[in-house]
Amino acid sequence: MSWNAEEFESRLRRVGEERYHHLHPFNLRMHDGTLTRAEIQIWVRNRYYYQTRIPIKDGLILAKAQDPDFRREWIQRIYDHDGHRAGEGGLELWLALGEAVGLDRADVASLVEILPGVRRACDDYVEFVDSHDLLESVASSLTEMFAGDIMTTRIAAFEQHYPWVRTEGLEYFRTRTVQAPRDASQGLAFVVEHARTAEDQKRCVAALERKCQILWNLLDGVEASSAHPQLSPHAIWREDPQEGTLVVLPERAVKINPTGREILNLCDGTRSSLDVTAILKERHPEISGIGSDIHDFLDEMRRLGVTQYAK
Amino acid sequence: MNVPRPFNLVAELTYRCPLRCVYCSNPIEYSEFREDLDAPTWTRVFSEAADLGVLHVGLTGGEPSLREDLEEIVQGAASAQLYPHLVTAGNTLSAERLAALCDEGLKSVQLSIQDSQREASDRIAGVTAFDEKLRFAQAVKELGLPLSLNVPLHRDNLSRVEELISLAHSLGAHRIELANTQYHGWALLNRGALLPSKSQLRAADTAVAEGRRRFPDLEILFVLPDYYSDRPKPCMGGWAQKNIVIPPHGVVLPCHAAGEITGLEFWKVTEHSLADCWARSPGMNAYRGQAWLPEPCRSCPDRERDFGGCRCQAFALTGDSGATDPACSLSPQHEIVLEARRLAESEQDRTLIHRGPSRVATGS
Repeated sequence: MSWNAEEFESRLRRVGEERYHHLHPFNLRMHDGTLTRAEIQIWVRNRYYYQTRIPIKDGLILAKAQDPDFRREWIQRIYDHDGHRAGEGGLELWLALGEAVGLDRADVASLVEILPGVRRACDDYVEFVDSHDLLESVASSLTEMFAGDIMTTRIAAFEQHYPWVRTEGLEYFRTRTVQAPRDASQGLAFVVEHARTAEDQKRCVAALERKCQILWNLLDGVEASSAHPQLSPHAIWREDPQEGTLVVLPERAVKINPTGREILNLCDGTRSSLDVTAILKERHPEISGIGSDIHDFLDEMRRLGVTQYAK
Repeated sequence: MNVPRPFNLVAELTYRCPLRCVYCSNPIEYSEFREDLDAPTWTRVFSEAADLGVLHVGLTGGEPSLREDLEEIVQGAASAQLYPHLVTAGNTLSAERLAALCDEGLKSVQLSIQDSQREASDRIAGVTAFDEKLRFAQAVKELGLPLSLNVPLHRDNLSRVEELISLAHSLGAHRIELANTQYHGWALLNRGALLPSKSQLRAADTAVAEGRRRFPDLEILFVLPDYYSDRPKPCMGGWAQKNIVIPPHGVVLPCHAAGEITGLEFWKVTEHSLADCWARSPGMNAYRGQAWLPEPCRSCPDRERDFGGCRCQAFALTGDSGATDPACSLSPQHEIVLEARRLAESEQDRTLIHRGPSRVATGS
């Protein structure tokens, strides 16, 4: 049995209440005013990668739609982000936010040093939309239903707790308080109209859950940079005559080259990933792009269980 | 011949076990085997294994905690600089004894679970053990040891993959191995009752993908049954390539089931050095490398990946351990596997036979 429109909408809204990233510890701290300047900067820098994926995602959705009315309305989202001419639109406003929090505009725009967890989450979103049908793709965009509120909270939090951020930098958030609810009502109307069977409705709920998970993972990726990695207590160093330096763990052994060893030696649980990166940048000014490599390496080491985060 | 380096040793300390699982991979006639290796002998074997390049040792069985000298064996493994890993059913090992093993150098624990639900788990195990297993898992975490779960999958528990993943997460496991039963030993006797249908496997695959999304920090290993894949599995990373298995009577094997193959001569660690057992015994060299491969494997590009499949399965299903694994769709005897799959889709008697000294059907 399919749900009626009202019940279906309330199921979708419940997904947001339970899983939207307004509940993520990083956002809770942002809105409590307890993030450091460095943490705000790392968030703004990394979230820009998400912003750049949005018009690409919307292009994919346009390409799936048969209905000119739908396309005419949906294309507005691309203009919202890219503007009608250079120097306008949401991406531009985000770069202005970057400047307002003290980042270099060109540096942010170049997308260097995007944290691996953030990159994965954003790429997951584009991949999801690419590989699912129009209905699920639109349903996944319905996090916009919850975006208006979080933007309002965010503006107030920034004005109250982070006065060092110039107020004109918050213009992106202000425009989204208007755009997000408008976009959400288009998306919601489409989904309610086109998800007719119980199975379609469940696919929509699952797509929205998936999108919430992606936004959640994005913030996990941001938090990884301020986490304090340390060698797993279950790891044992071994000098192997054939393989060189190994870390032996349950179920696996991982080969570590001298550079890796140098990075891991700094992971003593007192330094954040950003601290480790800063030290190594200073030590090896000749290596360009070292920051990304270190973040990728630390991400891989955590995935393999070589390191864990200090409590 | 170039002798490869073994990385892993599986020490089957005993075939005794409080559980009577219907898919046990121990030999059917396991009660005929004696436990010939005492703790000092195991200690010598561990030290020789380390010299060969082995990094990990899995202490398993049967149920390894039924050995009263397990503490001494763990100490032997740790003093040889191996990484000792205990594979246990959990229900016969107290928190106190586990702590003592930890003091001797035990580094990690794998707990076998038969199902996410008490009745179903105990039914497969043939004994009441589920609650004790959960208590044991808690004891492992309280000691700060890494915990992995191992759950053999079959047609009666495949629908609970999602629950099993949640259970692993709630027990604080860092890894769960969801391996579809391999049809050796008791599992082959019970294949008709255990082999799942294709639709069950598809649903489980979806549940695993969802589990990976929900619990990104939980490592989920999902091994499909080779009966449903087009090509055989690269069993043990190739015959006598990376793994050494030593059952309780001390014969050095390339895998836990190879002792079932008749006509192969393997050597015992009580009569030869481990290095000789590994490098020179006729059984170890029988299927090492590619020279022995029959057609269609010999000219198949996939031989580099699957090495012709599992020798024990070839022997169990065709009577010839040198045949292409019938799991491969290119095997001339693939029909054997297709027939088993057809039976899995049909109604049939699904009585289970529990592991035990005699083969008594205990009903399902």
